[in-house]
Amino acid sequence: MAMTPMAQFSVKPLVSAPILTIAGHPIYFTNQALWMCVLVAAASLFLIAGGARRSMVPGRLQSMAELSYEFVGNMIESAAGKDGLRFFPFVFAIFFFVLFSNYFGLIPGVFTVTSQIAVTFALAALVITVVVVTGFVQHGFRFLKLFVPEAPFILLILMVPIEVISFLTRPISLSVRLFANMLAGHTMLQVFAGFVIALAGAGGILSALSLAPMLLIIAIMALEFLVAGLQAYVFAILTCIYLNEALHLHDHH
Amino acid sequence: MSDHTPEPDDLRELGERLDEARRREAAKAPKQASVAPLSVAFRFSTELVAAIIVGGALGWGMDWLFGTRPIFMVILFMLGAAAGIRNVMSAAKEINERAAKAAKDNKD
Repeated sequence: MAMTPMAQFSVKPLVSAPILTIAGHPIYFTNQALWMCVLVAAASLFLIAGGARRSMVPGRLQSMAELSYEFVGNMIESAAGKDGLRFFPFVFAIFFFVLFSNYFGLIPGVFTVTSQIAVTFALAALVITVVVVTGFVQHGFRFLKLFVPEAPFILLILMVPIEVISFLTRPISLSVRLFANMLAGHTMLQVFAGFVIALAGAGGILSALSLAPMLLIIAIMALEFLVAGLQAYVFAILTCIYLNEALHLHDHH
Repeated sequence: MSDHTPEPDDLRELGERLDEARRREAAKAPKQASVAPLSVAFRFSTELVAAIIVGGALGWGMDWLFGTRPIFMVILFMLGAAAGIRNVMSAAKEINERAAKAAKDNKD
């Protein structure tokens, strides 16, 4: 069989010559880079076209653009408070990048950008960097109090390392969750699609049986639509929650 | 108001229709669960596993640095497990708070 379930995730250069070389490492323009460009262009087009008319009674496109604006705005305000809205462009960009990437990935033949740990980890590292920088800018070294819970001194010896590890976990769990969800879903779809082809080709009663994995694929596809939106939402809301901690330290508890 | 500037009337009518539609929808829509159980389950498991991995990796790195294998790895692995449980607890707390908030907003 030419296509293994994991073949869909392989990153390959589209142009054999590297577009530039950084410190001896050739940088290629890959299928991944192409689809990132496409989805950024699509998201930009959607929002620019949606915001172009500015009519009092919005049309469909404008409604969608306005709703997504308000949705993200409400999400930030509820999770990070009013002053979290300074980060609106950041959270909005991250949310839309992940959302578009997840939904684009559901179109057959399209490379799923968020199924690459490199991409999701880069996003998560960006989020954590912004959180840490915000924390230090906002509170100076008082930001480090985030790692010191209220406890007797003797317990702090144990608690501080735990808090530090717990903080270091964030970029890992943030990136692995998104990556694993996309990877698992797409692998599952391809495996069941393989069953359909194998059973249909087997002939006789087995061909009729190929209907079962077919129906399952439809169900998984529906689930994947849910997961794609949900994971984008989870990524964005966790960004807000982490920003909230950096902005307000412990005062909101 | 003249026929040439129908907008305010139009808008008011649209507003009324929207309000009515919203009331209808609110009346018939069942109370929606605010967080999908699937995402909660996935959230908890990644929080726990990631903390243990981070703890173990940190310990491994420190052992490699100081040549003290396996002391730091053992200690930090256990601390990582503790951090994982702490993560899950704070995630549960935060999800509860969000659910309570959503329930309150629904009532208002």
